[in-house]
Amino acid sequence: MNTFSRILLTSAVALLPLTSPAIDRTQPPKPGPAPTAAFPDFKVRTLENGLRVVVIPDDRSPTITLRLVIKAGATMDGGSGLSGFTAGMLNRGTKTLDAAAFASAIDSIGASLEGGASSDSMSVSTSGLTKFTDRLLELFADALVNPVFPAEELVKEQRRALSGIAAAKKQPASLASNLMGKVIFGEHPYGSFRTEESVKGITRDAIVEFHKTWMVPNNSSLVIVGDVEPDAIVAKVEKAFADWKKKDFPMIKQMAPPASLSGVTVHLVDRPESVQSNIIVCHTAPGRNFPDLPELNVVNSTLGGGFSGRLFQNLREKHGYTYGSSCAFNYYKQGGYFQATAEARNDVTVPAIKEILNEVGRIRTEAIPDDELELQRQYNVGNYLLSLESASRIAGRVQDIELYSLPSDFYKTYATRMSAVTPESAQKLAQKYLSTENVAIVVVGKAEAIKAELEKIGKVVSYDLDLKPVK
Amino acid sequence: MLKTAFLASVLAFTAVATFAQETKSSIKPLTFTEYVLPNGLHVILHENHAAPVVSTYVLYHVGSKNERSDRTGFAHFFEHLMFEGSANIPRQKIDKYISGAGGNLNASTSFDVTDYFFNLPANQLQLALWIESERMLHNRIDETGVETQRQVVKEERRMRYDNQPYGSLFEQLCKMVFAGTTYEWTPIGSTQYIDQAKIEEFREFWKTYYMPNNATLVIAGSFKPEEAKKLVESYFGEIKKGTPPPRPVVKLTPPEKPVLVEVKEEKTPLPASLHAWVACPETHPDAVALDLLADILASGRSSRLYRRMVDKEQAAIAAQAFPVLFEKAGLVGVFATGNRGVTLEKLDALIDEEVEKVKAEGVTAEEFTKALNGKEDELARDNSQMSARARNLARARLTWGDTAEVNRDLARYLAVKREDLQRVAKKYLVKEQTYRLHYPVPEAPKQPEGAAK
Repeated sequence: MNTFSRILLTSAVALLPLTSPAIDRTQPPKPGPAPTAAFPDFKVRTLENGLRVVVIPDDRSPTITLRLVIKAGATMDGGSGLSGFTAGMLNRGTKTLDAAAFASAIDSIGASLEGGASSDSMSVSTSGLTKFTDRLLELFADALVNPVFPAEELVKEQRRALSGIAAAKKQPASLASNLMGKVIFGEHPYGSFRTEESVKGITRDAIVEFHKTWMVPNNSSLVIVGDVEPDAIVAKVEKAFADWKKKDFPMIKQMAPPASLSGVTVHLVDRPESVQSNIIVCHTAPGRNFPDLPELNVVNSTLGGGFSGRLFQNLREKHGYTYGSSCAFNYYKQGGYFQATAEARNDVTVPAIKEILNEVGRIRTEAIPDDELELQRQYNVGNYLLSLESASRIAGRVQDIELYSLPSDFYKTYATRMSAVTPESAQKLAQKYLSTENVAIVVVGKAEAIKAELEKIGKVVSYDLDLKPVK
Repeated sequence: MLKTAFLASVLAFTAVATFAQETKSSIKPLTFTEYVLPNGLHVILHENHAAPVVSTYVLYHVGSKNERSDRTGFAHFFEHLMFEGSANIPRQKIDKYISGAGGNLNASTSFDVTDYFFNLPANQLQLALWIESERMLHNRIDETGVETQRQVVKEERRMRYDNQPYGSLFEQLCKMVFAGTTYEWTPIGSTQYIDQAKIEEFREFWKTYYMPNNATLVIAGSFKPEEAKKLVESYFGEIKKGTPPPRPVVKLTPPEKPVLVEVKEEKTPLPASLHAWVACPETHPDAVALDLLADILASGRSSRLYRRMVDKEQAAIAAQAFPVLFEKAGLVGVFATGNRGVTLEKLDALIDEEVEKVKAEGVTAEEFTKALNGKEDELARDNSQMSARARNLARARLTWGDTAEVNRDLARYLAVKREDLQRVAKKYLVKEQTYRLHYPVPEAPKQPEGAAK
């Protein structure tokens, strides 16, 4: 075929020469009008048992994904890790299928079903080919409604978790992020992480009780993404979950927000084998539902979002201190935090921290130049538009609206709000939400090589690998 | 050579029809048109208006296997230099143009290829073509850029490998299995060689490999093909064709007796053992059977190694089986991370038993169906976004020499017979030709916790 088509082509080219437009290589081309980002309309249906269901049809692949979010996470288990064990063990045996049989049932249709927990919620996700939808729904409902949490499976899970903790103690990024949570959130459950004591303290009775109390349909939302017809799939879900009954559940506890940090403190984990320091400069931030989030995104990306952010440009492209440097606000329901990160070799650890602080300080004291701000507005709006190509990202946002009690039009106005940020409003936001004076600087690295220099930045508190303070 | 839209669409249609006959899958095939510019640049267009976005993807047929043994890390380092700018793009402006256009970008370097992608709102296609053609026509290679990126790449190496538990695993594996070939080192390479290299060497590398005749350009998303073709011609047409780059010859033989390498590192938290064997290149007919075999061994909670090592014996926290198949050579590996206190001998014995068992008995019909369903699910999810479509189209064309192969992934798996799995297990997982890597946990420190200040 190749030879044939080549002969044919040669003559075709001769007959149909293409005329190419003249271009100016010396300038970036001018774009046509930008497409607008439109968050799709979605309809929330509430089933008789109180479960709220949203369907996002996507016919690009013959697959279906269901994600159930239950509004109870670390805040409801007090940081014990119980929510993680409860959600994680849903697929380890039901009244009719033991752990091995359940695993075979899921694997045999090429599907997956996994649960997990985070700060404010548990989630259970399952996905598979649409030709197996009925079987997938049956197994999904079985795992949620009839799990037995076998005692012997808990023992195995605990043993693996203990090994996982041993592994995390050697991972610089795990050490840094666990310590950051502890420093920012203190005793608040948001600051909790798995420890040997917490894992050993989990009992089957507590898991059964947690499941019974919190995993109820009227405390949950389900999003379905895939090549499905909305009415038909909702009818199937309703049938599969017929045994999942509405039930009262306790009020969600509002905890005291974490105390604000005061002063500059360096929190150092000594990891003698480190050839590079993991650095996190962090401080507290508001919870997810606060009035300035879209606009603050633009401030954040100017400081350290993507390759054009100031942290990347300064620490990497100007100084060659690090492979990457970026920053982000992370928001939970009852509180949040700001973090700026870098991984810098031992001898530039302190200079890297100083440059991070310089950049945070600069965005507070100097208005962002017009052209830089225009770039960042476009960056945020354009990348939001790009993200809408992903049905699962849309689904996640729909569930966030519910989980964090956001205004229902939050994502409809998102792009417009980001594009309205001015140098003046950006500077006000930077002054309100960023700090260089009340920050924690978490460093995981080789103390012998970096501690003396770190002491010049602020008081240094040292930690062992269990993240307990040492003298 | 420029194919007409008419002929190309006929070709695309043929590809669709063939696919539908060969499989019973409901995976939707990708339609595309393709042609070659007189300078050798291979162009593939995938038009889709589902979302107002466009992705461009440029794939150069150069990777770490093209490097000299005293210049490892060169291909990856050069990838960094491709963001420096061009004769018309000032230093460090590429990311700002793309960010300011509302897009994002990245690049990667592997053993065989280097790729560059932009994802943009649909009105910005011309910007992407301008930048990609600029760096193909006259990339900026100067001392300032080279010096900064030397530091950056060293930090990348520390972050990804030197500072991570098991970070040396892949390097150790390749050094062992691919010894004597240019697959012996990994793309990150050794930083000393980047320090030693002179700027002329980087320029020479660009002239050798960054030529249009060594590249594939894909545009996927919302655009008008006729307009895109004219723009491609305008931006890329003037770039001169280069001489065909050299292609390394790779000849790999299994070891004569088992090999064991022990990697002692202070940062190893849990015992880990990796068994590996020489396998086939990625386009070899055995490749798909090996992939299915690996899934049956270790994919999912009902897989053999999970059930035996993680669940029943509780010897491991995780077990993986994976073929690593390149253009001209390949390996297949089994990797287990042990629970605390489990010996490496125990991990080895369990891996050996399960490998010998599958060689002796083959796989069951149930396991075989399960693996095919899993593969169909995986492939069905692979093509939903434009960036993935662009990548898959370019990879299909380079790997198979035929872009239409992008729609035959599942067909290749469905052509495998259950007996093939036992056959490839026996053929490749030869006990006397096993390579092993051990990561022992270092002896506990003599001082109790809290003593280190």
